[in-house]
Amino acid sequence: MQNQLETTEEEECVLRPMNCELNQLSRPDGSAMFMQGDTVVVAGVYGPIEAKLQKMMHDRATVETMFSPAKGPPCVDDRAKETVIRETCEAVLLTALHPGMAISINVQELQDSGGLLACAINAACLALIISSISMKFTVAAVSCMIDRESGKLIVDPDSTQIQQARVTFTYVFEGIKKDLVSCHTTGRFSENELMESLEKCRAASQNIFDFYRNIVEQYAIKL
Amino acid sequence: MEVNIKDVVVPGDVAVEIMKSSEKERVILGPGLRRDCDRVLVTKAGVLKRRKPAIFYVDSYQKRYVPNRGENVVGIVTQKAGDIYRVDIGAGELASLSYLAFEGATKKNRPDIVVGDVIFAKLLVASKGMEPELICVDSHGKKGKLGVLSPDGMLFDCSLSLARKLLHPSCQLLTLLAKEQAYEIAIGMNGKIWMKARSVHETIAACNAILAAENTPPAEMPALCSSIARNLLRIS
Repeated sequence: MQNQLETTEEEECVLRPMNCELNQLSRPDGSAMFMQGDTVVVAGVYGPIEAKLQKMMHDRATVETMFSPAKGPPCVDDRAKETVIRETCEAVLLTALHPGMAISINVQELQDSGGLLACAINAACLALIISSISMKFTVAAVSCMIDRESGKLIVDPDSTQIQQARVTFTYVFEGIKKDLVSCHTTGRFSENELMESLEKCRAASQNIFDFYRNIVEQYAIKL
Repeated sequence: MEVNIKDVVVPGDVAVEIMKSSEKERVILGPGLRRDCDRVLVTKAGVLKRRKPAIFYVDSYQKRYVPNRGENVVGIVTQKAGDIYRVDIGAGELASLSYLAFEGATKKNRPDIVVGDVIFAKLLVASKGMEPELICVDSHGKKGKLGVLSPDGMLFDCSLSLARKLLHPSCQLLTLLAKEQAYEIAIGMNGKIWMKARSVHETIAACNAILAAENTPPAEMPALCSSIARNLLRIS
């Protein structure tokens, strides 16, 4: 832990170690278990499947998401996460290719030690990649925070660091030009803080894209 | 990121080589590629491949079937509604199969099909926003190899890439397997495989051989087949 904190000070865009397991679940068309530090999330994707009649759209596929917390029924906060994940995935998918169908993304939290939303979005993106649904680009989510006392910016904080946070940001970037896709913040911050954290997270997101490519490379050997 | 043929690609990559080669010949973009103004973008993760003369596609691992016109599929009859059957082919929605789409079928002479039958059929209609439609005859009105598959066989699911691999002319597995034992097989492009050998033991052994082929490189396939045959001898 100590060691990791030191490296965070040296290079500012260091993320916690990432790991993933693919297609562990047999039922979904694609599933990924994604670990970022101690935060673990499983995402499963079904689709394109038949849409429910009241949700069917005649010109594109509907995207449904379900976020389930580690324990208990989903609360308001979880619903908000669900919305962020859904709208991000809608931006990612080429929904016009499957009109009248639905794409269902189920995300299950296993353990939360900071950056849960970012981890959930990354897991969902990996599951979409593995299920071979047509996508415009890949996305990577990075969380960061500003410390209450020191005012220091920490990229990808863990749960102990996050308790000292004045502000938290979660940014989602796309893989082509690294443009911002979606953004979720808590707390009060100035414009400069926003821009500074955005640039740091943008630099850090490259690690996640490299990770995706690595995973696909290992996976593609079988083909 | 810019990628070339035989590279591992992820969605959002730009396939540069395709635009260069498009001077004279007609370029065909297969699954996993789309055109965006003057660039070709990748939409699926996998390996970018080229087939002569200029067919480009991304070879990817996939489980969910998306119907394509003219492909042969294996399906299960799930419903009988008026003059059509509803067939589950593993796609987003059920496919329809008219009772007239069989060899020699007339309004009075209906084919003998019940719910639960396994069918090997060809996709006649498969387009966006339309229900897929199956037929069990070719354009000459002959059934050929299509039709109801015997209930003695075994139906199992596999990935779409495995089905494509088995159907590829260069795949040796089916020939090697045939040297060890006799069997009948129907491979659907939708990742459903129906198989029947002389006994239940042999059927299960052959199914296992096929499922194991997913992770077996072509060079090791003879070894795989002979080990299955050896195990079979031990049982019987």
